[in-house]
Amino acid sequence: MTVAISEPAVTRRAGFMGRKSTRQAVLIWAFLAPSLLIFLLYRILPLGWNVLLSFEAWSPMKPAVFVGWDNYEEMLFDDPVFWQALWNTLFIIGSAPIGIVIALGLALLVNADIKGRDTYRTIIFLSYPLMTVAVAIIWRWMFDERVGLINYIARVWHLVETPIPFLNSFTWALPSVIAANIWQMLGFYMIIILTGLQNIPGTLYEAAEIDGAKPIHRFFRITLPLLRPSIFLCFVIGMLNSVTSFDLVYVMTGGGPGRATEILVTYIYKLGFTQTRFDYAAAVTVVFFILLLVVTWTANRLSGGDAGAVERG
Amino acid sequence: MKRYPRWPIHLALLAVSFVMLVPFYWVLKTSVSGENIFSYPPSIIPQNPIPYYYVDVWYAIPFARFFFNSVVVSAMTVVANVVLNAMAGYALTRHFHGKTLVMMLFLSCMMIPFQATIIPAYLITAKLNLLDTYLGLALPMFSTIICIFVFKASFDAVPRSLIDAAKIDGLSEWKIIWKVMMPLAKSAMATNVILSFIWSWNNFMWPLISTRSPTMQTLPLGLARFLSYQEDTTGALYAFCIMVLAPGLLLFLLAQKEFVQGLTSGATKG
Amino acid sequence: MIDDDFRRPDWKGWLLNRFVLVPLTLVVIALGWNAFVMTHNHGIVAGRVLDASGAPVEGADVQLWVFNFATFSVKASTTTKPDGTFQFDNNPSHNIQVSAEKPGVGRSARISVRLYFQSEDFYLKEPLRLTNGA
Repeated sequence: MTVAISEPAVTRRAGFMGRKSTRQAVLIWAFLAPSLLIFLLYRILPLGWNVLLSFEAWSPMKPAVFVGWDNYEEMLFDDPVFWQALWNTLFIIGSAPIGIVIALGLALLVNADIKGRDTYRTIIFLSYPLMTVAVAIIWRWMFDERVGLINYIARVWHLVETPIPFLNSFTWALPSVIAANIWQMLGFYMIIILTGLQNIPGTLYEAAEIDGAKPIHRFFRITLPLLRPSIFLCFVIGMLNSVTSFDLVYVMTGGGPGRATEILVTYIYKLGFTQTRFDYAAAVTVVFFILLLVVTWTANRLSGGDAGAVERG
Repeated sequence: MKRYPRWPIHLALLAVSFVMLVPFYWVLKTSVSGENIFSYPPSIIPQNPIPYYYVDVWYAIPFARFFFNSVVVSAMTVVANVVLNAMAGYALTRHFHGKTLVMMLFLSCMMIPFQATIIPAYLITAKLNLLDTYLGLALPMFSTIICIFVFKASFDAVPRSLIDAAKIDGLSEWKIIWKVMMPLAKSAMATNVILSFIWSWNNFMWPLISTRSPTMQTLPLGLARFLSYQEDTTGALYAFCIMVLAPGLLLFLLAQKEFVQGLTSGATKG
Repeated sequence: MIDDDFRRPDWKGWLLNRFVLVPLTLVVIALGWNAFVMTHNHGIVAGRVLDASGAPVEGADVQLWVFNFATFSVKASTTTKPDGTFQFDNNPSHNIQVSAEKPGVGRSARISVRLYFQSEDFYLKEPLRLTNGA
């Protein structure tokens, strides 16, 4: 519509409508080209190449050989590490809601009408822009068996008698990594939920109050449903982030003890760059990506189907 | 809303703030503590605080070199990001054939995490002979979808009347972009700069994969390598941590608003 | 936001912008520190040697130990002048130790010296005290 308004003014000068719009089209595509190139080169192409590689046997010295489902067979039937890594990854995905619930509580608190809420918000968000490697080192130190703060507090408060070797125990290693991840992401979740909270019109609450609704009802009937898109977003981003938390696992535990904290991403890295099995690693990557898609789609369905919808135009 | 007591909220938020800040304090304390850091019980206040571990770190590893590498790669990334994303964001505000396809492409790229592309990305970079180079380090991060949409939203917000007035005045496409739209997209630019800088500065996995020689490593890599070098009883590693965290923290405190704004607007745009 | 941009086009506004002020301050500090380092890095390590009663010791052997990977090793040695003072001129390191010894008078403990930068000029505040005839 607006195009029609400005076009006549322009075509009078340009002369030929055809030439002008072609020039514009060329300009637009020229503007898009560099970004498109980067994404093609480093997102789309790798995805396709992964799929291709997963069906081949390939080592850098020898030419590729098509082997069909061999890699997948090995992965599903002969590789306990894969299953352990898959289980760990699913465990991490399952624990994402914990962080979101805490962040929801924090967002509600910070949204209240109190002095210094900006300071609180800054303090809570402080952990997100930090280098994950440094965060991993910090939490490695905090969980240290001898002198870590966690063990120290636990012993001072007489919660345990002997220190718990968090990062060296099969039961505590993965939860420790998850705890560090939640610490880092809490501020990020909170900001997103806070934005969603502030977008809820206050008039809804007032109307509900006039109708006699108790605060609990207001929360469950107004706040939560309207927060669904934000929560869904948190879940997707949080899941993406935690499932790809290579930095944390690599520095905190290296995948250990044994394979207790091995996640699909670290396994892919080890396969590709320690064992140089690019083809097998590609197969695991494909499975990893499918997992991500499935989880995202499920979350989308569960949160009402329309959340995170594409903004067309 | 109804009146309710404020102090429980303050109490809860103070407790949370404490939990969020304690790790910082603990690492800071360890980095200046002058005693054996593995003695139990750990002291809450640093005993014999000394600043000399920072000096140790400076000379023990090529900190200046790592810092320089990180700065170069981040600078390249930031500049490229602003230029490429602004161009793409502008292009997306116009109507053209295949726009829907391009939008779908961009959005689907958001779903592809970097970790799902590492093997081929490494192979591609090797084919382009860019392994172990600054360009190779920076190239995958030259454009990000979130920032494209931030620019697009910012350009969309320019009132149509302004553009029409400029067109009637006879300004060419380029002049319109440069003189009308870019000044009004200042906050989008700031957001883009901050976000791309932080992501590039903190990036660990890609430098780990694409560099071979120790002189091309970036700061996060240096930090991770340091972990294996010096497992002694001093706080040198933690001094390194603080040195590495300081720039990121400083930048964040300077540019909080842009940071938060960029994340929320970019994120909520899908 | 748009108003801000139109109201401060002059250089003062630019300077006071936090994105300029903070990096500028950092650059100034970095330059100042570098200037300080360059004028104070001759590697001078100087001090005095006293015996157990507090009298200066002449001709005592003073050794400079330098930290190398995991241990300290002797890098240089010198002898004290009649007033008990000594001076090393080419200390290359930031983590050193100094010890003194004179046969018949005693030996001192190894004093650890940490510097802020390599070859920082340093003057020991506490003199090295020789105890127990060696």
